Amino acid sequence: MRLRTLAAVFLRIGNTTFGGGDPTVAALGRELVERRGALDPEQYGIVYGLARITPGTNMLAFCAGAGWMLRGWAGAVIAVTTVAVPPAIVALMLLWLFEAGMANPIATAALNAVIAAAVGLVLAASALLVLPLMRRTGYLRSALLATLSFLLVWKQALSPVEVLALAGLAGFLWREPVQP
Amino acid sequence: MAGARSAVSVWLLYLLLLKATCTSFSGLASLPSIRADLVERHHVLSDQQLNAALAAGRSGPGPLGIYVVCVGYQVAGVPGAVAGLLAAITPAFFIIALLRGVGGAVTGAALQRTIRAIIAAAAGLLAATTIDLAASGITGAFTAFVAAASFVALVFTRVDTLWVMLGAAALGAAHKLITG
Repeated sequence: MRLRTLAAVFLRIGNTTFGGGDPTVAALGRELVERRGALDPEQYGIVYGLARITPGTNMLAFCAGAGWMLRGWAGAVIAVTTVAVPPAIVALMLLWLFEAGMANPIATAALNAVIAAAVGLVLAASALLVLPLMRRTGYLRSALLATLSFLLVWKQALSPVEVLALAGLAGFLWREPVQP
Repeated sequence: MAGARSAVSVWLLYLLLLKATCTSFSGLASLPSIRADLVERHHVLSDQQLNAALAAGRSGPGPLGIYVVCVGYQVAGVPGAVAGLLAAITPAFFIIALLRGVGGAVTGAALQRTIRAIIAAAAGLLAATTIDLAASGITGAFTAFVAAASFVALVFTRVDTLWVMLGAAALGAAHKLITG
């Protein structure tokens, strides 16, 4: 695949698919594996699996991995930047719109409601992280880890990084129950 | 105005944001660490600004973690936004080391369950962060309703975040027009 084509594919799919990483990775898989045959299903599976265990945003890791498989480092850099830069500019423009609207009482009311919705968004992100884990690895383990982490940070006993390190250690030592 | 009261250098901002993105395994999981460093420790960001950055970052296309760009902008203007963008995309390239070096070995069961434990802990950290964000984002019964409705819509339906945010804005404007 030529670099220009690679850029066009990641630019188009990465910037027109709403709903976060999973729909975008699925759409990229459809394009790269099924439509263009640029990656075989096994390569897609390896990149997808490793992206899940790469720190940071999984979708960006998937783009870096797929881009690297297709065209080496240049492909990785182009895939990540074409997927990340345009949404970053859109987000900044939205932020400027928010700030510009602060002088208007109607716009301020709308912005305050959006900010309240963002609170719901963060709580929803928490639920959407832990619920699939509970279904996959058992309720007790995931619920206990999430609750203990919540309490340790809420009571400000530990910093987030310390809590994550402890959770990682617990996860390493505590085997998951075998699912039927 | 963004960056007007910045007390951290752009380099330090990049490192703090990078620390947050490198210790998370999904887009919004970096939020607790960002809040701990920028809101509580360095006092260069308010919860209101963090909420606005979240809302702007989630209202457009692209990866969840792109809100970090808006956080960087809120702290240090355009250079901060660039620092945020670099912090968001840097961890993605770690996947190349995984693809080149250790390959299938890193997909072992112990590592998988360690990462799942970290994700469960991240859910707890996000829930704790919600409490702090709610203190500035929820100012009465109406904003509490908007936050709850946003949570329900995002967890129990497949509606896109963009529509949730636009719906919240419309509700806020309508509420202001009705109540004066």
